[in-house]
Amino acid sequence: MMKRGRFLLGALSGITVVANADHVFGRALADAPLPGLPGAGDRILLLINLQGGNDGLNCVVPHGNPLYYRMRPTLGIAQSDVLAIDANTGFNPQMRALKAMYDKGQVAVVQGVGYPNPDHSHFRSTEIWQTAAPQSYEHTGWLGRYLDDANLPKNNLFNGIALAEVQPEVLVSNEVDVPSIASLRGYGLISDRNALAKRTYTELATDDTLPFASPYLAHVAEIEDHAQRGSEELPKLVAGYKTEASYPATPLGRSLALAAQIAGSRLGTRVLYVQHGSFDTHVSQKETQDRLLGEFSDAIGAFYADLAAHGNDARVLTLTFSEFGRRIAENGSRGTDHGEASPLFAIGGGVKGGLYGVAPDLSDTNMGNVRFTTDFRSVYATVLERWLGRPSQSILAGNFEQLPIIA
Amino acid sequence: MRPAGQLDVMTALSAYRGAWEDRQAAHLLRRAGFGGTPQEIARYAAMSPSGAVASLIHFPGASSFSPPPAVMGRPAMGRPTKDQRREAVADIVALQMWWLNRMLTTPAPLQEKMTFFLHGHFTTAAIEKGVWPDLVLAQNQLLRENALGNLHDLTLALSKDPAMLLYLDNAENNKSHPNENYARELMELFTLGLGNYTEEDVRQSARAFTGWTVDRRTGTFFANPRTHDDGYKTFLTHSGDFDGSDIVDIIYQQRTCERFWSSALLNAFVYNDPEPDLVDEFANVIARNRFELAPSLSVLLQSNVFYSERAYRALVKSPVEFAVGVHKQLGLTQIAVGTPAALRAMGQVLFHPPNVAGWPGGAHWLTSQMLIARDNYIARLVEGREMNESSWAAQLPGDAGKAAREILFTLLQNDATPRAYDQLAAYLGGAGTARGAVYLAMAMPAYQLG
Repeated sequence: MMKRGRFLLGALSGITVVANADHVFGRALADAPLPGLPGAGDRILLLINLQGGNDGLNCVVPHGNPLYYRMRPTLGIAQSDVLAIDANTGFNPQMRALKAMYDKGQVAVVQGVGYPNPDHSHFRSTEIWQTAAPQSYEHTGWLGRYLDDANLPKNNLFNGIALAEVQPEVLVSNEVDVPSIASLRGYGLISDRNALAKRTYTELATDDTLPFASPYLAHVAEIEDHAQRGSEELPKLVAGYKTEASYPATPLGRSLALAAQIAGSRLGTRVLYVQHGSFDTHVSQKETQDRLLGEFSDAIGAFYADLAAHGNDARVLTLTFSEFGRRIAENGSRGTDHGEASPLFAIGGGVKGGLYGVAPDLSDTNMGNVRFTTDFRSVYATVLERWLGRPSQSILAGNFEQLPIIA
Repeated sequence: MRPAGQLDVMTALSAYRGAWEDRQAAHLLRRAGFGGTPQEIARYAAMSPSGAVASLIHFPGASSFSPPPAVMGRPAMGRPTKDQRREAVADIVALQMWWLNRMLTTPAPLQEKMTFFLHGHFTTAAIEKGVWPDLVLAQNQLLRENALGNLHDLTLALSKDPAMLLYLDNAENNKSHPNENYARELMELFTLGLGNYTEEDVRQSARAFTGWTVDRRTGTFFANPRTHDDGYKTFLTHSGDFDGSDIVDIIYQQRTCERFWSSALLNAFVYNDPEPDLVDEFANVIARNRFELAPSLSVLLQSNVFYSERAYRALVKSPVEFAVGVHKQLGLTQIAVGTPAALRAMGQVLFHPPNVAGWPGGAHWLTSQMLIARDNYIARLVEGREMNESSWAAQLPGDAGKAAREILFTLLQNDATPRAYDQLAAYLGGAGTARGAVYLAMAMPAYQLG
């Protein structure tokens, strides 16, 4: 008999979390070694997008440069407040946790990173950073191409994960299905809350023997199968992990707590993506940027404490990027406008800490913007070759000088 | 992805004379529109193929359709405030809802489908680069007015469209500092394709477009003689003191332009990665019709290749096609409020294509997360108030087997295996509900294919 009521009500509520150590389209596969670099099979890259255009000069502050204070009469961070690295350079005062990690040699600061002919559109410049293609339009991201290239186990549903609501361009791949998981709670099929609907879905979703021959049919069936198995299995696979740090109650804190959980559950995941922002500080920059940098630093501090407690801190490399830095001179609204080159961070126990690249030259500018001195693809090439253990040339469409930032 | 099997290029574009039933009518409505309601599919199935296509091509003129919402332009003075930007984003969402509703209820589905196709082809993204909602709407109306018009005329009109001029920086293109962005994309992505022009052609045509800008006071097109380079240019072997319209004219004399459009339309309406022979044949049709869309599409939509088994369900529905189609098939008359947000999760935001190359489509719509978003969207729709008692799905027969058959016929024109009937009937005969069964049918792989 059919009931006309709501088919989902009266069913199981939520996803049942059951620790199941044997169920592993992740776990067993994680041990498969990557060709090439010894130990690379265990490594994870976490990419953090500081979205909106992070002001590099108030993040890594050139506090020894009088020009900085002249061009930033209200926004300049007082020398006494800066968390100094040396006489010229220091961190924003909100980044105490990151500074502490820097002092332990776990943070590489790469200065002046950008690309030729900088684009000042958030949209286009974000795309350039994500596709690593400043001169063409690519439908795949640089990490998506890495996933295509890396010969990762095809039956692992979690080779890459975006901890985001929407798939970022950087993880768009031709071959590998990358789930976007903003939170475990939201990652699942509503119909799975009903046992009968779930069972029927599984049967119907894998029905790929149909009275027509679409070139996409088998692929849709495969991805529907991923969707259901993945959303059902992930909570179980990570359920055994015990968080060993107190994360800030911010969106980034929650994302990094999940990132540590995934890393610690050894699902074979190689790349993770998280977004933090918005750093688009045209107006009243100080309040916004200080808050966001503080949240970033605190979340990173907790993340690495958690990773370290599980012995994972040298397995996870965190790399930040932002679509551009900001104009050197502040504007009339105590903010800054879209600029060009800016610093980025590589963080973790596998990093050779220190200051890299060239400090921004505030007198020789590109129409008021910091000129780039390190091509962003040099950073990507370094991460691909020395961290993930893959050749970078085809992924980046060129050969780029590598940096000595990996221990 | 190209379908398996062989193309018979000699007969590919000849008029189709095969079976004409619900299956073919639904196929036509999915491709030339956003799917059909059960009533529309039955109505088209009762026509002849040529009659059905004619009724799509020759649509009623100005309808009683609800006018678009009033939307804001760029604030006249200074940098927009956060509140103004928020308001602009809200306007874009209002425009998305307006357009989605129009897709759902228009008496001219092919006009709306072509507007949607052209939006993904001649891309412009909202709010970026000063493309405020008023300009977005104006461009959308321009695409709609030309949806079945002439591609040459439309390309020229878009070269003067304020949203386009701002989005691809031609507004900044002047004699002393030429900006090549528009000239390059015009050839690479809009009309010719890579490899069919040189870098020198880009530089020369960029000079021709100098001075084509937007009057910041009126927000309209303005050809500024003071910033226009009126010198001699050589472009695709032609020489003269060209301006932008000369460049467009020369582009539309190229065989590569005919082939480019042929390939774009075949990809959108027939199947992906069409054979070069088929591209050539349809390019001839486009050439004979001097880039007029109505007669060219009329040939395509009545052709053997369009109704061939190789073309059948050979495309992946885009999220917009999927969402509007779901409404149509469920008999819903208004787009559900959460649809723009759901479309974002499925990977497609109207007025915000991922880049100037538009939505890549095909397998790029198929990630597990995007499919979860599709499935959960239907789950919320069938559970929601929108599915009131007047929907056919609320009046299914009590017999589980009959109900399963009706669901699979109405939603999928029986593109299902006997196993699917059995599963659905078992679900309905157990503790399942009619709404649940409708959801399950729409979550089937076949339903994701257009």
